[in-house]
Amino acid sequence: MHENAHWSATANGHWTRRTRIALASLVAALIAARAHGEDVIPRLTNGKPDFSGIWQTTSAAEYDLEPHSARKDAPPGAGVVEGDVIPYLPEALKQKQKNFAARATDDPRLKCWTLGTPRGIYYPEPFQIFQRERDLTLVFQFGHSVRTIHTNGTLHPADPDNEFWLGDSRGHWEGDTLVVDVTNLTDQTWLDRAGNFHSTALHVIERWKFLDANTIEYSATLEDPNVFSRPWTLNVILHRHREKNFQLIENYCYTLDYDEYYPFPQSR
Amino acid sequence: MLVARSNPHFFSLFLSAIACAPVWLFAQEASRAPGGETTRWEHEVPVIHSGEWNGPRLTDGQPDVQGFWSNTIANHNNWTDPQGGEPGDTRSRPRKHRAPSRVIDPPDGQVPFQPWARALQQEFAAHLYNPVKPQYIEPLARCAPGGVPKSFIWHGYEIRQYPGYVLFLFDSGTRIIHLDGKPHLPANIKLWNADSRGHWEGNTLVVDVTSNNAKARFGRSGEFASENVHITERFIFSEDGERYNYVATFTDPTVYTRPWTAIIPARRRGVGEPPDGWHFSGELANAPGQPPFFEHYERICVENNGAFGQVAAPAQHASSSGARP
Repeated sequence: MHENAHWSATANGHWTRRTRIALASLVAALIAARAHGEDVIPRLTNGKPDFSGIWQTTSAAEYDLEPHSARKDAPPGAGVVEGDVIPYLPEALKQKQKNFAARATDDPRLKCWTLGTPRGIYYPEPFQIFQRERDLTLVFQFGHSVRTIHTNGTLHPADPDNEFWLGDSRGHWEGDTLVVDVTNLTDQTWLDRAGNFHSTALHVIERWKFLDANTIEYSATLEDPNVFSRPWTLNVILHRHREKNFQLIENYCYTLDYDEYYPFPQSR
Repeated sequence: MLVARSNPHFFSLFLSAIACAPVWLFAQEASRAPGGETTRWEHEVPVIHSGEWNGPRLTDGQPDVQGFWSNTIANHNNWTDPQGGEPGDTRSRPRKHRAPSRVIDPPDGQVPFQPWARALQQEFAAHLYNPVKPQYIEPLARCAPGGVPKSFIWHGYEIRQYPGYVLFLFDSGTRIIHLDGKPHLPANIKLWNADSRGHWEGNTLVVDVTSNNAKARFGRSGEFASENVHITERFIFSEDGERYNYVATFTDPTVYTRPWTAIIPARRRGVGEPPDGWHFSGELANAPGQPPFFEHYERICVENNGAFGQVAAPAQHASSSGARP
């Protein structure tokens, strides 16, 4: 049969051209399949994973880190907290409940204030990672705020009194996992729209790891002896934006309150 | 280098600038410049020609110009008379003893406004300290980004580079310059920092700027553009990598009678120069055993209820004094 000839040697023992092409394609596909999910992740020239790109979660973490059914201001979500429940100390739990009741007015997000760490990571707007050997720069579309994760062996600032909105971030590599120690945080940020909160004693340990070339497994362990009875961990998946020509569009939303006064035509 | 103008009285000018800052926001900024800070009072505009780049390069071939940088002639008080102080400042030295206008074309050093736009600019200038309408309030004083081009004449800033990108981290606002070949954003998107597409030509970063929301003013003197403005920027770096000139041409038939061009000189800041919280606000890294180097701390503004891109300060939530010493 003519068709079979494409997949077999000719009578004189030579492969036909189409057969050679078919075999080459098969080998390439096998290589790709074997590599998928294992080894083909972007890397810097120093061999470390390269998280450069634009990322966003599809989870409902921003609405409420804990499991919740649908409500008017939030889609339902199974929660992203290991063990489902954030282990508040009794007094802190009362504060959380007050925050929840006042969430329509008291969430710092509503003023477009810098979201904090880890909230900026799972807020439902994209953020972009720019990476060098010495650091990762995270630019968040929301507020266009900038966070630097240092990976050059430097320590937290000697001055322990800084209260940064995104914290001071020092990272190191454990294999292909980026482990980031975050301290020096303000207490002015919330962890989500449900009023989960923390104090200035918050200490966050993040773990960033490629699940595949376009997906990051992100976890954050939160310690805060003023608020939580023990450390607890949240997990979200971050997806790479692969839409054609996708890019951040700066969102300085705190300027919207006076937007109408600028630029000039309004004063003509 | 050519000396454009000289000004031996820069320090007394500096003092007079402090003395006539009646708004606390402005006074706060002035008070952060320690004695001896003279960066902004240079009176030379170095001549730097476009040409080849023989300095260090990044792995993707870009000239490596990363680090901390600052404008060298005055600040945003006055766009066309940089060392002339804010509008209404009558204590300045004679014009001939101050740095020249940033506007190098047309040769008279003035922005070629249409008559109605000139009148509006003068209206803004006249009301800087008497903002009886909301639009008279300089947007930067509300924590808005400095935008293009004001960001280059305000505080010092950091440049970071990556394959496909150049980042400018200003004290108020961040610009992402795309070298990645992606097209401009759609024209109906307008941004404080505009939309920037660049490429390198030897020692010169050439950037095409569109989608400017035109809400930011160029200086406290009130110069402005419209949303239709098209800006072509050329960042021309010196052979030793220590200086660059920002040369920008503004085309906007809505506001101007002709295209015009401005120049802003800048120089590198770094080790050996103490941070001053103004032109150079790097922080020494905590790196025991290593030679000193600087980091760029987080910038916030609206959160502290105080303008000027302050970094966080302890126990001063919602206070107006979040400036670092």
